[in-house]
Amino acid sequence: MILSRRRTIQVLSGVTMASLTGAGRAQFWFAPSLTYPAVRVGNIRNLQNNQPVTFNYPDARAQGILVKLGRPALGGVGPNRDIVAFSAACTHMGCPVVYKNGRLLCPCHYSMFDPAKAAQVYQGLAGTGLPQIQLRVAPNGDILANAINGLIWGRVRNV
Amino acid sequence: MSNMNRRDALPIPPANATVHNTVCQYCTVGCGYKVYTWPVGTQGGLAANQNAFGVDLRNPQTPLGGLVYTETMHSIVTRKDGQQYHVVIVPAGDSPINLKRDHSSRGATNAVATWSDARATRERLKYPLLRIGDQFQVIPWDEALTILAGVAKGIRDKDGNDDNIAVKAFDHGGSGAGFENNWGVGKLFFDAFSVKHIAIHNRPAYNSEVWGSRERGVHELNYDAIDARLADTIVLWGANPYETASVFYTEHMLPNIQGATSGEKQRNLLRGEPFGPAYLIVVDPRRTSSLTVAEQVDKARTLHLRPNLGTDYILANAIARVIWERRYYNMQYLQNRTDMQKFEEYKEKSLKLDTPYAEFMARVTQITGVPRADIEKAADWIAKPKGANFPRRTLTIYEKGMIWNMKNYDQIAALVQMNVLSQNIGRAGTGCGRLGGHQEGYVRPPSPTPGSIYNGGPPVNVDKYLTDGKGKLYWVIGTNPYLSTPNNQLFRKRIRERTKALSDYLGRSGEPGRTEEWVSKILEGLEATGGLFMVVQDIYLTHTAMDAHLVLPASAWGEANQTSINCNSRLLRLYEKFMDPPGEAKQDWEICKLVGLKMAELYRAEGKGDVAAKFEFGKNWNTDEDVFLDGGNSFPNNAIPASEEATLPAECYRGVTYAFLRQVGQQGIRTPVRIENGRPVGTLRRYSVKFGTKDGKFSWYGTDDWEGYPPEVAKYLEGDMAKKYPFWMTTGRAQAIWQTMYNDRFLPEKMTVMPMPYIEMHPQDAQALGIKGGDLVQVWNEEGNGTFMVYVTDAVRPGLIFALQYHHLGTSNSMTSGYTDPKTTIPWYKGTRVAIRKIRGSLPDLQQTASFLQQNKFD
Repeated sequence: MILSRRRTIQVLSGVTMASLTGAGRAQFWFAPSLTYPAVRVGNIRNLQNNQPVTFNYPDARAQGILVKLGRPALGGVGPNRDIVAFSAACTHMGCPVVYKNGRLLCPCHYSMFDPAKAAQVYQGLAGTGLPQIQLRVAPNGDILANAINGLIWGRVRNV
Repeated sequence: MSNMNRRDALPIPPANATVHNTVCQYCTVGCGYKVYTWPVGTQGGLAANQNAFGVDLRNPQTPLGGLVYTETMHSIVTRKDGQQYHVVIVPAGDSPINLKRDHSSRGATNAVATWSDARATRERLKYPLLRIGDQFQVIPWDEALTILAGVAKGIRDKDGNDDNIAVKAFDHGGSGAGFENNWGVGKLFFDAFSVKHIAIHNRPAYNSEVWGSRERGVHELNYDAIDARLADTIVLWGANPYETASVFYTEHMLPNIQGATSGEKQRNLLRGEPFGPAYLIVVDPRRTSSLTVAEQVDKARTLHLRPNLGTDYILANAIARVIWERRYYNMQYLQNRTDMQKFEEYKEKSLKLDTPYAEFMARVTQITGVPRADIEKAADWIAKPKGANFPRRTLTIYEKGMIWNMKNYDQIAALVQMNVLSQNIGRAGTGCGRLGGHQEGYVRPPSPTPGSIYNGGPPVNVDKYLTDGKGKLYWVIGTNPYLSTPNNQLFRKRIRERTKALSDYLGRSGEPGRTEEWVSKILEGLEATGGLFMVVQDIYLTHTAMDAHLVLPASAWGEANQTSINCNSRLLRLYEKFMDPPGEAKQDWEICKLVGLKMAELYRAEGKGDVAAKFEFGKNWNTDEDVFLDGGNSFPNNAIPASEEATLPAECYRGVTYAFLRQVGQQGIRTPVRIENGRPVGTLRRYSVKFGTKDGKFSWYGTDDWEGYPPEVAKYLEGDMAKKYPFWMTTGRAQAIWQTMYNDRFLPEKMTVMPMPYIEMHPQDAQALGIKGGDLVQVWNEEGNGTFMVYVTDAVRPGLIFALQYHHLGTSNSMTSGYTDPKTTIPWYKGTRVAIRKIRGSLPDLQQTASFLQQNKFD
């Protein structure tokens, strides 16, 4: 998918993002500590349930995976709070994960992540969930990646 | 809902950071790790020459081999110098165990499990605690030791022996234990005291879990990890390594199943020997993830046998019978290497050669529920020679599914005999041994029980001794029996009742004030109430410790130098100290030393120098290595040829020093160690020449007939009881958490994933009871009850549930019966009957955050 960087947003270091889910609950994470670009990764009109889309974020060397689950998800955006995105690099040893049968699966050592539960590891050797990419939906339906909660595998800092 | 702190940047160790070698504190596999520490206030750079990793961090790391440094691998600790230090603990790149820097979800959290007052691990014990009135209060070591030694001596003085001093202690490696602390515990209780009522950390007695193998001449740690890469067939019998020994599975078994070890097979096997990707046989009541992962590779090379609970030894004997009928054995090997007189008993009782084959197999299928064709297929995969001349190479790995089965002794004996009949031991790609749970570090003076009922046993059931009202002092070290022991509810209630009886007595006619009043009133109260004085020595205030009178703070992994071996290669390495223990916490060996010296002081004051001398065993122990060397010298002479290795204890490390271990680093040395030309030499694989018996020959044994279930469980199978308790329950562990969660309960990464103990239930049963994933149920029987979260999964069959054995919020052991194998006193933790009901209401918060996707489904 074609990327466009329309603008960047400044996320101040150390300020907690008290973002809320649809249920009005505090999310799983504290704030990202770094400043991230805002990048268009899709439009809600083009997404179909369980049809994952890959994109690069926060730069060309990191792959993300965007999926509309068709069921509410922690950190989900869109009218049904079911659109989520994660770093596609497995947090165990860096292999690219695939979205299959409603979950994210690493083909190297079979770690599995629940996309509706902030990509927590519900089976396998990975020690932490996949980093969740914070999304925002613009009035025209564009989906923007705003920041990343969690460290992309293979980096000491995300940006 | 958990509020988990995610990170998007990590500190970089500067080039001058201190680097230590260590080994993961958790499971049996013993992955190698590197620890980097440096003072807070500096950082390294991205270029390879600017950081201690020596790695270019400007580019993303290469998957499957690049540096692994993830969010949970960094923390900050404070040392005794008052300075803060970064601690980075990452998988080592030079370990023969965790190749390519592989690691598990356990090892990934080594750094965040370190003690810090700024994190949840602030719950670590810092100072001795004494129950004063109804609360714990801090006291100095000298006061604690004086009270403890005074009570222990008072009991001995009155009784004239140590029968009323009961102990439950760790006897393993890793996790802050290791050879050093095992030697300390052993010297105190076996040489200074003569304690006979002692039990091992996870069971009610002091026993081997595998006397059925050891008394045949086979120690349970006999293979090397390379054998999993060389085998034609891997058998996992009551073992689920993908979840409990993950890296052993992913780096040593899975590559063989995938056919990725053919180069090693070419180099290591015989000239002209045929080989291919490995076959996998899983014997387990569940469709474990170890099975279902392999099914993703090639289902046609997997075989799943699901025997009825408790019937595994009948199945192992049946596979052996097929091996016999199809002549897959080598008579010359049997004659040269095994006791042919005892073989007759094996043929009669285990193989039942007097019973016609068809009749025998029909009976086996009736008992075990396993079809004859599957049994025969298993025998072919295990023992059918390859071509004309090459015996098959089968590695059989078993663990608690066999050990904590009904009839422990016969189960283990049947399995090892099946392997020896097919010559599957002592050769490359073969072996019959334990998967292991934790690492090992056993070195002790002779224990009070020499063996099973056939060798001077069985050992005393210490749980029963205590719940029957016997014993006065109960000393628990590095274990949490309030979660881990069988028939747990009865045990907890009874210990609480007895400890409280003493606490109440201490308050009568005024609380004690002076130290000598404490001692005399405790001794008086023990006699007057039938109560129990409980001492807990641990790193946290465990469930058990909450009921103690005296709590002694111990140091943990990384807070001292220690040594252990792993189970899959017997690889001995040095786990280097990289931080200080909290407060006044001490190594277990040092606590044992100090108790001994305090006892000696009391005896000297009475002019009993000879008794005092026995308690001064640790007076020259000043460093961890002093204790390591002292323990090492207790092993027999090991300057012997390789052909005699079978005569050595499996963990013999005599002649090894810390300097030697520093030199070999992650490569370690495989025990038993021998001395050749003055240098320590390791043992790759055991029993290639002789077995570990007096004459060096394998000692056969005739197993019992099938006699049905013991009364403790059989009571649930008749009439109304069968209707009231309609489910079989088996139990076990899970990938995400370690043992009783003593560390994990403080880590949000773990508690979010597994917020409660759980059961697995088949969809048919769930539908019948109106239960869905995430619901809460009550599980109960006459022994006990508990609340569990439900996963709906086809891992279990209809009519059988699987329950997580330990979680800090509850244990399935509450429902486990008090049955133990009369031959070994090993419990049957993994089989009983229960009733289940859905609990009213639900916990939406829990349902929203935990995942209920099926954990064994990888397709």
